[in-house]
Amino acid sequence: MQLVYYAVTLIFFFFLYCILNWGLNLQFGRTGILNFAYIAFVAVGAYFTGVLSLGSPIAGSGESYILGSTLPFPIPLIVGGLASSAFGLLIGLIAFRRLRSDYLAIVMISVSIVLYDVVTNFVPLFDGADGLNGVPEPFSGALNLNANSFLYVFAAFTGLVALAGWWVMSRLTRSPLDRTFRAIRDDPDVARGLGKNVFGYQMLAMAVGSFFAGIGGGLLMEFVGAFNTSAWTSGETFVIFAALIIGGLGNNAGMIAGSLAVPVIFVQLPKFLPQIGGNPALIPEIDNMIIGILLILTLWFRPQGLVPERRMTFDRLLAGRNRVPRLSLMPRLSLLARRGGDR
Amino acid sequence: MSAAVPGAPAAPAAPPAAPALRCTGLVRSFGGVQALRGASFSVAAGQVCALIGPNGAGKSTAVAIMGGALRADQGQVELHDTEITGWPSNRIARAGLIRTYQLSRELGRLTVLENLMVVPYRQAGESLWNVFARPGLVRAEERRHLDRALELLETFGLIRLRDSYASELSGGQKRLLELARSVMAQPRMLILDEPMAGINPALIDKIGEHILALRDQGVTVLMVEHNLGVVERICDHVIVLAEGATLATGLMAELREQPAVVRAYLGGALSDSTSS
Repeated sequence: MQLVYYAVTLIFFFFLYCILNWGLNLQFGRTGILNFAYIAFVAVGAYFTGVLSLGSPIAGSGESYILGSTLPFPIPLIVGGLASSAFGLLIGLIAFRRLRSDYLAIVMISVSIVLYDVVTNFVPLFDGADGLNGVPEPFSGALNLNANSFLYVFAAFTGLVALAGWWVMSRLTRSPLDRTFRAIRDDPDVARGLGKNVFGYQMLAMAVGSFFAGIGGGLLMEFVGAFNTSAWTSGETFVIFAALIIGGLGNNAGMIAGSLAVPVIFVQLPKFLPQIGGNPALIPEIDNMIIGILLILTLWFRPQGLVPERRMTFDRLLAGRNRVPRLSLMPRLSLLARRGGDR
Repeated sequence: MSAAVPGAPAAPAAPPAAPALRCTGLVRSFGGVQALRGASFSVAAGQVCALIGPNGAGKSTAVAIMGGALRADQGQVELHDTEITGWPSNRIARAGLIRTYQLSRELGRLTVLENLMVVPYRQAGESLWNVFARPGLVRAEERRHLDRALELLETFGLIRLRDSYASELSGGQKRLLELARSVMAQPRMLILDEPMAGINPALIDKIGEHILALRDQGVTVLMVEHNLGVVERICDHVIVLAEGATLATGLMAELREQPAVVRAYLGGALSDSTSS
């Protein structure tokens, strides 16, 4: 039974990191936005989902947070995603106007640190370092679930959300919009010189990617039932970036491989291992070292990652257009066939 | 034709046809260095015009200002009688002025085909709403863009490379791709920054032919070029910049007769070009 519980928890984290990785992949892998504050966007989603589920702080409990209410699930989750999006737009508004990618990265690190300090020290916001606890389990009342069955149901629900996320990202990354994102990633000046509103597209990528981060944060909050500042240190951003690079930057399937390779196998799985020499901090430290080494080895020997970004070839482009009659292309295709034969 | 002393405000050129592009009194400094000192010139509609001058004359600065990548400290830029001074480059591009770069700037991790497909402005498929809610519209538009992109790749001899990443192309192929990409934008005015730099003579002729074909289709072309043989062969009009100001304008043959131009800046190059 214990083993099943571990397995379900790992499956939940696998789905969760898939969602988180897709969001950051859209921002960094496809649009070139080096968002080192990504974990802060996850936190925004988690906190908003939490406060909108918890209800008002109980007088005398010592807890204090803003916006306390009990909205029915999944409204808090969706609002968490939207709040993260809005936060992304706010940061983008300041950062994208004048900054290029390397300076943007520095600003993002600063944003993450500032937000972390504000949330930690300004206790009335989200109860400071203690964070939010006792967030009610969704579905438990309606489906009459106990603590264990809740885990199964919620892991399955997270799987459904991940499936929806996969569908959205697959559709998006085959679209002309994604092509424009990638043009901006490759050279924003050239994209601008071709008439593209680079700022607008960066803001869009920021909003959509942050929505994924916010939903991921909300799911984490609902699953664990608690969230505090120890959950979103800058090391967590490093884990997601490592998953992105090792999995295969720019590839949605690579994000799945990365989620499995880094956060699940190297971060979550060892949490269930027995302590070494009675030192609880030793395994996480060894984990970090292994992830760092893995990252270096990937960058040396397979910089494209486990599943590299797929080339949008003519055939793939055409396959996407096949669903409607393409009469105007027929002469062109026969021309190409002839050319192929000439070679 | 006109001539002026370097440094002094130059008189605007007066080419025969109505100007597609007019720059008046462009001034731009970088710290203590004055790259442009009141350069004024215009490019007649439907012509191929060369912008020449020695290194440090201010050509690239002028191109950057015309394309919106840099702001002028003073002066005006007009495109088809619309003042575009200080406009951001994306707005200038949408107004019909497209530029290329001194060093090819291909979109490296897009395929050759995608480098063209990405160009059309305000594609239906660039809207998040359309991607999910109106896929039929997006696909229909993509088909049209695909047809046009394939046609251009065919014209520019890049069709066999359509699935290559742009970063995998040779220097000459990158030049051709950049030109094809610019044409995909259906510009009214093209500014080419040294389009022949670093490519072999056969390809130079080919690019020259493409430029003339564009002119014949009504596109106005301004090209920064050091190869004066090419300038003489394909340009209708020449602007000479020196020390940030317009030194002279006219036909290459006329400029060769101008002692000030020959003596001060172009003597060696001009006599070389005669034999090329």
